[in-house]
Amino acid sequence: MIARAAPPLAFGALAIVVWQAAVMIGKVPEYLLPSPTAILATFDLSLLKQFGVTFLEALAGFLIASVLAFAVATLFVRFHLLEEGLFPIAIAVKTTPIVAIAPLLVIWLGTGWWSKIVAAVLICFFPVLVNVVKGLKAADVEYLELFKTLGASRSQEFRKLRVPYCLPYLFSALKISSSLAVVGAIVGEFVGATKGLGYLIIISSAHLETATLFSAIIAAAFAGIAMFYAIGFAERRLIFWSSGGGE
Amino acid sequence: MNAIVLSETRGPAIMPPDPILSLEDLSVVFGDLVAIKALSLAVRRGEFVSLLGPSGCGKSTLLKAIAGLVPPTGGKIVRAFASMSASFMFQKPLLLPWRTALDNVLLPVEIERGGNAVDSSDRRNAERMLNLVQLGEFAGAYPHQLSGGMQQRVALARALISNPDVLLLDEPFGALDELTREVLNEELIRIWRSMETRLSTVIMVTHSIPEAAAMSDRVIVFSQRPARIVEDVPVDVPRPREPGDVRSAAFVRRIRALIRSGR
Repeated sequence: MIARAAPPLAFGALAIVVWQAAVMIGKVPEYLLPSPTAILATFDLSLLKQFGVTFLEALAGFLIASVLAFAVATLFVRFHLLEEGLFPIAIAVKTTPIVAIAPLLVIWLGTGWWSKIVAAVLICFFPVLVNVVKGLKAADVEYLELFKTLGASRSQEFRKLRVPYCLPYLFSALKISSSLAVVGAIVGEFVGATKGLGYLIIISSAHLETATLFSAIIAAAFAGIAMFYAIGFAERRLIFWSSGGGE
Repeated sequence: MNAIVLSETRGPAIMPPDPILSLEDLSVVFGDLVAIKALSLAVRRGEFVSLLGPSGCGKSTLLKAIAGLVPPTGGKIVRAFASMSASFMFQKPLLLPWRTALDNVLLPVEIERGGNAVDSSDRRNAERMLNLVQLGEFAGAYPHQLSGGMQQRVALARALISNPDVLLLDEPFGALDELTREVLNEELIRIWRSMETRLSTVIMVTHSIPEAAAMSDRVIVFSQRPARIVEDVPVDVPRPREPGDVRSAAFVRRIRALIRSGR
């Protein structure tokens, strides 16, 4: 683990040193490219607060979307007509860019938490829905026959076979949607907000406070990475029998 | 009579004449495809019967019809008594990878109980089944930690835990290598002949002539689809058998000739 992390850390450190040196020697103005030390100076409590806002919005959207998508997927698999009727509509909604919908969400839900949470829900919902529908149907026909010979009820088949079988599919979708959740929250903040990393990015860019802009970008990236790794950690703990499901 | 009661073995010697399972004019049709046409067959209690025939002849469909997986289109399947139970064992182990060997063996019990959780006597019973297939030490192992042969042993223990009268085997060890397969066949015969389970009757689908001859009391040879019984060949070689006992016997040659004639 440590041995594997060493080379990228070394190269990263080298890049930062080169960056610092280039900015100092070339006397690059800070609004164009701030030095790493200048960026580091902008990491403060207020950045942490904005990070917390965005992270919570993303997390809430992610959780709501995951539960909702799982429930809808269950209904789709159970009632085929629902799937046939709603899946094409779901795909149509999915292909609409979230950036295009976000202003509407602000009109409807205001500039508070909910417009960002709903933006995150919208962006997270579909990957989970698609993969869970696929995963719930993924159990081999032979396993279904086994359950039939054992006299299993529909709900036993669902709980003891289909749901565990679906977990690798669920988690590969959760890893995608966890980083997308941060995108949704930030897009929501771009359109109308008074706090959060998206708000900070817009404001610092307008004022050419490029060092702050950089720290906000880094914090946003960190939010996505943190979510992704948390899901990956849970996945390895929970799904020890599989090396990952389909996309 | 005394000798029979004390006997450690089951098999033709103590076989009552009446059938435990009869198929009467059984037909199975899938759309335009006639898999089985008006087939009649009686299996007696205590028998080990092999269904042998070319692949795709409908013998697996027949077994699935007996197991209730495929509804008969015509005729009927008569069970000797209402409480008669049968377990089905597939070619693949079909273990749930997220469950330990013990929990896999417990699956049929859980399903039968419905909402009620399994208790410690169920667990002891599952452990007994794992011991029976010589995997007592692997109760806590997950399927991916077990070899193919061991996985199939767990599947056998799972098939036996519900204490079935009849075991239906669909090429049970067909996916395993020759050596493992031979060992597991012997194990199966040992378990069938032992008194540790209620198991009395085995119906096995196979396409191996030596395997069918070595294991069975009776080999039913099937034609090409739609499955029709070409011949019912009794294997009257005393048990326990050695692998060499049947290899060159006259009926093996006869079965081979029957299959080759392609009727």
